[in-house]
Amino acid sequence: MDGTKITTDNSYGAWKFCAWNGMIFMGVFIVFWGIMGHNIPPYAGSLEAEHIATYFRDNRNLVRLGMVISMTFAVSYAVWGISIGKVMDFILGRDHLLTNLQVWGAGLTVVPILVSSSFWLTGSYRPDALPTETLQLMYDMAWLLIDLGYAVTSVQMIALGAGCLRDKRDVPFFPKWVCWYSIWVGFMFTAECLMPFFKDGAFARQGILNFWIEFMIFFIYAPIITYYQLKAINRIRAEVGD
Amino acid sequence: MSELAEVQGKPDVGKSGAGGSALPCDSGVLFFICADMGMFALFFLLFTIGQVSDPETYRASRAMLDPAIGLANTLILIVSGWLVVRAVEAGRAGDWAGARLRVIMALVIGSGFAFLKVYEYAHKFGAGITPLTNEFFTYYFAFTGIHFLHFAIGVGVLLVTISKLRKPQGEATLAWLESAGAYWHMVDLLWVVLFPLLYLAGGVA
Repeated sequence: MDGTKITTDNSYGAWKFCAWNGMIFMGVFIVFWGIMGHNIPPYAGSLEAEHIATYFRDNRNLVRLGMVISMTFAVSYAVWGISIGKVMDFILGRDHLLTNLQVWGAGLTVVPILVSSSFWLTGSYRPDALPTETLQLMYDMAWLLIDLGYAVTSVQMIALGAGCLRDKRDVPFFPKWVCWYSIWVGFMFTAECLMPFFKDGAFARQGILNFWIEFMIFFIYAPIITYYQLKAINRIRAEVGD
Repeated sequence: MSELAEVQGKPDVGKSGAGGSALPCDSGVLFFICADMGMFALFFLLFTIGQVSDPETYRASRAMLDPAIGLANTLILIVSGWLVVRAVEAGRAGDWAGARLRVIMALVIGSGFAFLKVYEYAHKFGAGITPLTNEFFTYYFAFTGIHFLHFAIGVGVLLVTISKLRKPQGEATLAWLESAGAYWHMVDLLWVVLFPLLYLAGGVA
C-alpha cells in the first residue's frame, strides 16, 4: 500500500501525542475518577444510603476535584481513538468501515464517562441540601450509566481487533493476540448487562466479575494498544518518510 | 502448497494444521479461546466457593434441575463436536464436500442444545425460579446464559463455515474451518464442565 496515497499528514509527533492520550486518559481515570471519586472499588450496591451520603458530604471537594479533572480529560479517549484510526488507515486503506467504527466507538465512549461523572459531581455540589436517598440515587445512576454504556466501547474494541487482523504485513502492526484480546475484551463487556439485577455477589457493580475482572482487563487494554500503536507510527514514518 | 495439491484444491498440510502449523487453529483464535476459558475457570471457582459456604442451598436448588436434560445436552454437544473433528479431517484431506456435510450435521444436531436450553429456561421461569431466587440460580442462569451466548455465536460461525465450504479456497478455508472447529470445541468443553458442576457435583438434597 502506497503510504503517500493514504495521507499527506506527516505530523508524526502529533500522532504520537494523540496516541499517548490513551495513557493520559487511563492515568486520570484511575486516580481522579477511581480513587478520588471512591469508584475503585465502588460502594456496594447493597450499602445503605447513609454511607454513600456521608461520603459525599465529608469529601465533597475531593469528589468535585476528581470529577472535574475526570470530565476534562474524558475527551482524551476520543483523541486516542482518532490516532488509532490513523494507524488503521495504513492497514485498511482510507475511510474503511472498521476504522470509522473504531473511531466512533472511541468517540462515543466519552459520553457515558462524561455524563456519569457529572452525576457524581452533582451529588458533591450541594450534598447537605440533598436528601440522603437522592445522593444514593446519583451514585447508583452514575454507575448504571458507566457500566451499561459498555456497548460503544465494545464497538471500538471489536472494530479495532477485526480491522487490525486484516493487516497483510509479514510483521503486522498489532500482533494477532492483541487483535483477539481487543475482540475478547469488547465481548466480555456484555457481562455488564447482569449488573443492574444484583446488589451483591460477583455480578454486582462491586463484584469480582463486573468490577474487578471487567475493569482490570480494561485498564491493561490501553497500555497494550498504545505500545503497539507507537511502534506502528514509527514504522509508518520509516515506510513513508517525512 | 505443493503443485499437485494446488491443482486438486487440496491444502498441503499433512497431519498438522493450515500452513503446516503445529497449533490446532489460528494462534489469535487460540488466544481468544484461552482467555475465554480462563474467565469460565473463574466462574467455576466462584461457584465452588459458593457451594462450600452454603452446601444446603446448593443441594436443594440442584434438586430442582433435571440432570436428564443436562446429560442430553452434553451428548448433543459431544456428538456435534465430534462431527466438526471429522469435518476438519475431511478438510485436511481436501474433501470439501464431505467437510461441508459434516459441519451441516454438526449444526443440525447442535441446534438441539438450543431447543432443550430454551425449554429448560421456560420451565424454570414457569416454576417461579429466576436468577434472583438464590445464589445457586444466579450462577446457574448467568453461567449457562453466557455459555448460551457463546453457543449462539458458534452457530453463526458454523453457518459462515458452511458458506465458505461451498466455494473453498485452499488453506484459507482450512484455517477458517480449524478455527471454527476449535471455537465449537470450546463451547462443548465448557458445557462438559458446567454439566457436572451445576447438575451433579455436591449432590442433591
